[in-house]
Amino acid sequence: MQVTDQDLQYFVTAIKGVSKYDFSEYSDKSLKRRLQKILEDYNIDLTTLITNIRVDKNFLEKIVKEITVNTTELFRDPPVWHLMRSRILPRFKNNKTINIWHAGCSTGQEVYSLMIMLNEMGMLDKAKIFATDLNVDVLDAAKQGTYKYRFNLGYLDNFDKVIKQNPLNFEEYNEVPYEKYFDIDKVKDTITMKKFLTEKPIFRKHDLVVDGNIFFAKFDLILCRNVIIYFNYSLQNKVFELFHTNLYPKGVFLLGMHETILGPWANKFERLGQAYVKK
Amino acid sequence: MNEFRLIMKLFKNIKLGQRVQFFVIPLIAVLFIFAGLTLNIMSKKRVLEAAQLQASVYIDKTIQLIDIVENKTGKGFTTDDRVELKSYFQSPAFYTTDFPSIVSLTGEYLLHILREGQRIPLSALNKLKSKSEKQGAFLYTDFTDNSTEERLLCYKFYEPYNAYITISISPKETLAPLENNRRVLILIIIFSSIMAALAVRYMINPVVRNVNLVNIKLRQLANGDLPNHLKIDSSDEVGLMVNSLNKLIDGLKQTTTFAREIGHNKLEFQYKPLSDKDELGTALLEMRDNLKRANLEELRRKEEDNIRSWTNSGLATFGDILRQNNNNLNLLADSIIQNLVNYLEANQGGIFIYNESDSDRYLELLSAFAYNRKKFVEKVIQLGEGLVGTCAQEKNTIYLKEIPENYITITSGLGEATPTSLLIVPLKLEDNIFGVIEIASFREFKPFEIEFVEKIGESIASTLFSVKNSIRTKILLEQSQQQREEMAAQEEEMRQNMEEMQATQEEMSRKNVELEVVTSAINQALLSMTLSEDGYIVDSNANFQILLGYNKQELDGRLFFELIHSEQRSGFNNLWEQVLIGQSVNETLHIVGNNGVDKYVMTSISPGIDDMGMIVKIFLIGQDITETKKLELMAQKQADAIEQNIIELQMEQELSAQREKDMETLLKALDQNCLVTVLEPDGLITYINNKNVEVLGDSKEDIEGKHLQDLDYNAKNNPKEFKIFWDNLHKGIKQSREFSLTVNSKIVWIQENYTPVMDQNGALYKIINIGFDISENKLKEAEMVKLISQLKDLKDKK
Repeated sequence: MQVTDQDLQYFVTAIKGVSKYDFSEYSDKSLKRRLQKILEDYNIDLTTLITNIRVDKNFLEKIVKEITVNTTELFRDPPVWHLMRSRILPRFKNNKTINIWHAGCSTGQEVYSLMIMLNEMGMLDKAKIFATDLNVDVLDAAKQGTYKYRFNLGYLDNFDKVIKQNPLNFEEYNEVPYEKYFDIDKVKDTITMKKFLTEKPIFRKHDLVVDGNIFFAKFDLILCRNVIIYFNYSLQNKVFELFHTNLYPKGVFLLGMHETILGPWANKFERLGQAYVKK
Repeated sequence: MNEFRLIMKLFKNIKLGQRVQFFVIPLIAVLFIFAGLTLNIMSKKRVLEAAQLQASVYIDKTIQLIDIVENKTGKGFTTDDRVELKSYFQSPAFYTTDFPSIVSLTGEYLLHILREGQRIPLSALNKLKSKSEKQGAFLYTDFTDNSTEERLLCYKFYEPYNAYITISISPKETLAPLENNRRVLILIIIFSSIMAALAVRYMINPVVRNVNLVNIKLRQLANGDLPNHLKIDSSDEVGLMVNSLNKLIDGLKQTTTFAREIGHNKLEFQYKPLSDKDELGTALLEMRDNLKRANLEELRRKEEDNIRSWTNSGLATFGDILRQNNNNLNLLADSIIQNLVNYLEANQGGIFIYNESDSDRYLELLSAFAYNRKKFVEKVIQLGEGLVGTCAQEKNTIYLKEIPENYITITSGLGEATPTSLLIVPLKLEDNIFGVIEIASFREFKPFEIEFVEKIGESIASTLFSVKNSIRTKILLEQSQQQREEMAAQEEEMRQNMEEMQATQEEMSRKNVELEVVTSAINQALLSMTLSEDGYIVDSNANFQILLGYNKQELDGRLFFELIHSEQRSGFNNLWEQVLIGQSVNETLHIVGNNGVDKYVMTSISPGIDDMGMIVKIFLIGQDITETKKLELMAQKQADAIEQNIIELQMEQELSAQREKDMETLLKALDQNCLVTVLEPDGLITYINNKNVEVLGDSKEDIEGKHLQDLDYNAKNNPKEFKIFWDNLHKGIKQSREFSLTVNSKIVWIQENYTPVMDQNGALYKIINIGFDISENKLKEAEMVKLISQLKDLKDKK
């Protein structure tokens, strides 16, 4: 059974009707695929799904969690982190505090990546780190800071590329032992972030569509990578507006590898690779 | 018969003494009487026989006489004979009535002393005739005058006479002597009977008394009582019997004692049977022997039972142990060895489990109880190594009563000692080895204990097998479960990755479409060029090529700098510097192309910067503004003029302020002199001035709010022309017309000028009609037209 536009409309309206979740401005195609996936996984038809959503609050939460995509990894896209290290973080070197918001932090790898980098640059103490996601489950995972080891061997490669090596100077090599930041248990097949990392960030549930800024603060750096691809043009612009409003002047907003600001907000930021600096 | 039986029964019930008194003595008397009678009868018969024989001899003698007579007389029995013979026949032969006689064949007494001429009884004659013998005797009944008498007739046929010579003997006469004998006999019988009775009584009575005594004893015996000896001074059969009885009593007493002793389980009591044939004694001895055997058997069985119950309870205990803990090998082994050592009352033990990896086969000490193997401290033993290894390899129990020195010691707080026996049992199941149990003890193991350990060993092996299996299965299950979950999680992650990639892809393609649109717009509408950091042309679009008159090949690789007009080159260098530090610049470049093509291009030059801030390319976008530029230049020239004009204009403004006043006056004049009508685009007349009313005579109320179509003469009479007129107005074309009409019997010529007024968007907004009374004022016409155009200009300016 293929999910039609009408089905999707029905589904989105149903969710909107019983909760504050609003998927109406999500990217149609992506949302359709997620819905398709849910129907296949639960092996139910749309009517049943929606009936269940209406009567069972927990089921609704579960479905919302299933809709969200939680892809992340430690030091994802190393070039972005090179940019971060060489061009973005140095901007805040003289700040007293650095407010950082990871919007859509998923299972937290990005949060820990940035903290490790800040720590390496001696700036971690200054940083105040906020991390939000729509999905409470992934937030819990993020708080735990424990990930599969074998499946995620790439993490260590990324760590090497970002922390140990310097692409601008190939002769430079910083020997940073993994033990400094991780506990690796090959028997349990886990890689766990050290406690000083996991206890620092403030993790909160947050919906970019409706919640606005839930922290009573403005930010020096907002990371929102690979989130807006699930939004349509209009919602993207709303999010850009939200970030623009809540950034300090010269604050930096980081998008995912293939995300760009087009449209009305483009000229309010100055582009720096994947980073956008508030004019 | 019944009576007889009754008597027999009665007889049987009667005691012996009475039996003798009432039966034996009478019986003896009867027998005596019987004997006497028999004797009497027998004598009678003898007497008769003798009489018969005498008679026959007498007859023979008589016949001899007769023969002599005959011989003399001859010719048969004749009278002569009779006479002759008569003398012989006169006397009885022996007794008184037994006279000889001659009897004819007809039965007639031929010669009889008393009865001559008489006949013999018919019955006797018949008997005589029936006899075939020529001589004999028979009894017959003779009738005499007043009595009848049984008589014996002896006869002999005598041929010469053809008659019988007979003698009739009376038995009575013959037996007379016997009568005296009989009396004597009776007396004898009576006497002897009394004597016999007395004798019997005398003999029988003591016997009966003794028998009674014996009987009493026997009755006691019969009742199970063992009486004292019976003392009887007698050596007869009863004495013997009493002896035997006494012996029997003694024997029974002895046997009873023996039996009692056996009863008390004193099986060793000496007892000799009374004789070889003493069945009871033999039986008792057999019983004792059997009891002895049974006791032994019992003992043996008890021991076997003990062993069996020990084994069974052990098996049950271990069955339970093996059933529990069967998911934890270590716990299980601990429990087994501890319980086994305790159960066997041994001192220490260890359980080794057999492990098999690809390269290695070894035994691992899984659990131990009070274990202290000095020699093999290590927990791993290779197959075939040492006693344990050998046991596992051979798969046979090893039992040692002499333990190698230092092999194993049992340590306690008091010191240590080498145990005396060592039992090593393989844990095997169907010839597959699963481990080894080693048990050491200070006491020797009994065969059944060894057997028990072997049996337990099998159970343990079987459990180890299943435990190992179940543990392996559990591990495998858990692994597969975990793998499944991991797979599911990873699959979900992959799916999410896919989703993200897809979403990213879509976002990119959406942007690409936008960018493509922009790019193609640029390519089509603008001039575009890509330069290297050094300023060399890398790429250019068709517009640029056309503009410059070069083809792509001619442009590529060329220094862009060369295209810049010489007068601008120094300025361009500054520009380029700015670009190289990452700024975008906008500048109108004067460019020289092929064959002296001379163009002005308004450009935007932007550096392309990668993530690391490095300049990769420089993009140039421009627009050909040559025409504009030229115009601009022209305009520049004009600008100067305009500048002057502005001064003039300022002056003119002052003038126009004046003129505005004039205009007001003019409009006033116009209002006073012209017929002004204002119409809506649909022809609705919204305003007429007073002049109009004055010239045409219709009041404001008549005209205002009406439509031109309804009032106009042409509209009624020449609709075609009116339509053209009206359409033209709507197209924005001014329309003029002249017409005359009669007002108050006076012909008035009106010239109307309809002017459409457009709004900013060029749509018809209003139509203004200015009419002149040309009939009176034709001269002023030109002047008025001029005035109108001025009015219009003024409006435009505003």
